[in-house]
Amino acid sequence: MMSEIFNIQFLHPSVLYILGGLLIPLFKGKVKQGYMLAVSLLAFFAVVVMPYGTYGVYEFLNWKLTFGEVDKLSKVFAYIFTIMGVIGVIYSIHVKNDGEHFAAFYYVGGSLGVTFAGDFLTLFLFWEMMAFSSVFLVWFRKSPASINSGFRYLLWHVAGGLILLAGIIIQYSASGDLSVQYVPFHGWWPTDLQSLASFLIVIGFIVNAAVPPFGAWLPDAYPAATVTGAVFMSAFTTKTAVYTLIRVCAGSEMLIVLGVVMAIYGVVYAVLENDARRLLAYHIISQVGYMVAGVGLGTPLAINGVVAHAFCHILYKSLLFMGTGSVLHVTGISKLTELGGLYKTMPRTMIYTVIGGLSISAFPLFSGFVSKSMTVTAFGEAHLTWAFMALMLASAGTFLHTGLKVPYFIWFGKDRGIKAQEPPFNMELAMIIGSLFCVGLGIFYKPLYALLPHTVHFEPYTAYHIWESLQVLLFTQLGFFLLLKKLWCEDTISLDTDWFPRKGAKVLMWLTKPLDRIEYNFIGEIYEFIIQKPIMGAAKIFKVIDTVVVDGSLNGLGKLTLACSRKMKNAQSGQIQHYAMVMVAGFIALIIIVMVLP
Amino acid sequence: MKLLDIIELLKTKAVKKIAYGALIILIVVDFIIPRHEIHFFGDKVPGFWSLFGFIACVLIIIVSKWVGHMGLMQDENYYDE
Repeated sequence: MMSEIFNIQFLHPSVLYILGGLLIPLFKGKVKQGYMLAVSLLAFFAVVVMPYGTYGVYEFLNWKLTFGEVDKLSKVFAYIFTIMGVIGVIYSIHVKNDGEHFAAFYYVGGSLGVTFAGDFLTLFLFWEMMAFSSVFLVWFRKSPASINSGFRYLLWHVAGGLILLAGIIIQYSASGDLSVQYVPFHGWWPTDLQSLASFLIVIGFIVNAAVPPFGAWLPDAYPAATVTGAVFMSAFTTKTAVYTLIRVCAGSEMLIVLGVVMAIYGVVYAVLENDARRLLAYHIISQVGYMVAGVGLGTPLAINGVVAHAFCHILYKSLLFMGTGSVLHVTGISKLTELGGLYKTMPRTMIYTVIGGLSISAFPLFSGFVSKSMTVTAFGEAHLTWAFMALMLASAGTFLHTGLKVPYFIWFGKDRGIKAQEPPFNMELAMIIGSLFCVGLGIFYKPLYALLPHTVHFEPYTAYHIWESLQVLLFTQLGFFLLLKKLWCEDTISLDTDWFPRKGAKVLMWLTKPLDRIEYNFIGEIYEFIIQKPIMGAAKIFKVIDTVVVDGSLNGLGKLTLACSRKMKNAQSGQIQHYAMVMVAGFIALIIIVMVLP
Repeated sequence: MKLLDIIELLKTKAVKKIAYGALIILIVVDFIIPRHEIHFFGDKVPGFWSLFGFIACVLIIIVSKWVGHMGLMQDENYYDE
């Protein structure tokens, strides 16, 4: 069995990230940096040499677990995930906290695990691993706001994961087949058992794709994450969800409506937003809206467009997060009302960010142009004019914010005399690589088109198409400068759908106050009686033995009991972060056991 | 520094004039550009996408700000109380 995992042809990139991540704390300084870079590059090459086929099949209880289902679709996503892994590692290589690297490695590993999963159970395990590792990228910011935000993030994902699991279980009981299969959902409500399974699976997926009303976790958590953590997060969770949606639910009509609503919703919230990274987070929602809508349409052109767009999106969105992250890293500020005039001190960072902005806006010669247009054209060809127009409207909004508002208010606007300089070399290098990809894909798009799941008969650079895009974009720019006064940022937050759970939780807490008393009085007493008292009793006995029996002669034993008591105390920290860490460790142990045992 | 000079150059009035000129050229050329991807009526109207871009931008800003001031935008400490 081991020989199969380490098969020379198929080396699962998740194995590299998961086992490789474990060894990070063993190295120090430059060796550690080199090691992390080597692991991420190796994972990329593992994908390059990977032939199509099915690998890593294990019998576990009565189920067949498939860890490596390689086809065109999974491979193109694995390419971009591993490329992003390399860029992310370079951008974050200076970070001293091993835990952050560890979390990022497991997050990337989880995402690749989902990509290659051949059965729903494996998919679900890696799905949860992504949530439980990425939340640490939020928590490691270590501010009270990010701790709270991390908890909310985890709650959303645990809820989404449970819905997905329910769908998987019903799917299994209905069909007796656990393999990841094509089960699209039609209509708006489930009518029988099979459609209930599809429905729950779609809902589970779209929670991770941040589709409203389930998407409020994204603009809540991403801006709360660490500078480098947000770069990773912007790339993986939503795009992994898009991948699973393509695989399982392409052609589910519900997604067209949800996707178009999403594309517009992200744009509207971006107008109101003051935090640069939260604005970008809303634009992830808007961009993923194009993908979700394209998946709903489900034609070969639309699916090609979605995959190409996910590929380009990961590159330009991470570039944008790297640019604004660099500003946050250097100045400690991410609010547009407090930034301005940085073009004198951070001009190169500005150029990288603008390249990301032009790419997301689908300017000709930038990566977004060759990918976004494919999805939008698919709607034009399907004669869904309302969706076509709505997506064009969202395009204008995208340029308005990411291409114009963010660079204008950070680098120009009102000069606030902030002291700044260009970010460290490794961060800049990552941005240079990202920029090269954005421009390179915009010009040499054929290699990307060759990777897409269906044969491509689409030519982005036609005269009319270029002209249409330029008109929309440049007249948006005119509108921006004419209405600049109206766009001036306001120091507020915007209420989102998480208002309901957040305010609802307060009502619930108030309603359950009587339960509090039961918990404190009743459960607390039981706890004290069953656990605390025996431990205290044991400690007392040890103390008696220590002081009376071996007093003086065996001081060492005293120290040992003290240490034991302390250890016992630590096991009951009451901190959910610690319990989550234990769960992740248990999960890793489980995976290793499954892989190693015959 | 050279890069800074280029950025400073972009802030001059002359660049603004060139930009307005470019907008006019965009519309003018749209009258003669060959059209082969006609998806709906708008693709046949010269300058349609110019008007669309401008109106889209104005609409997005005004409608969003209006919705925002209807109660979506709140003080930063809204959830803390």
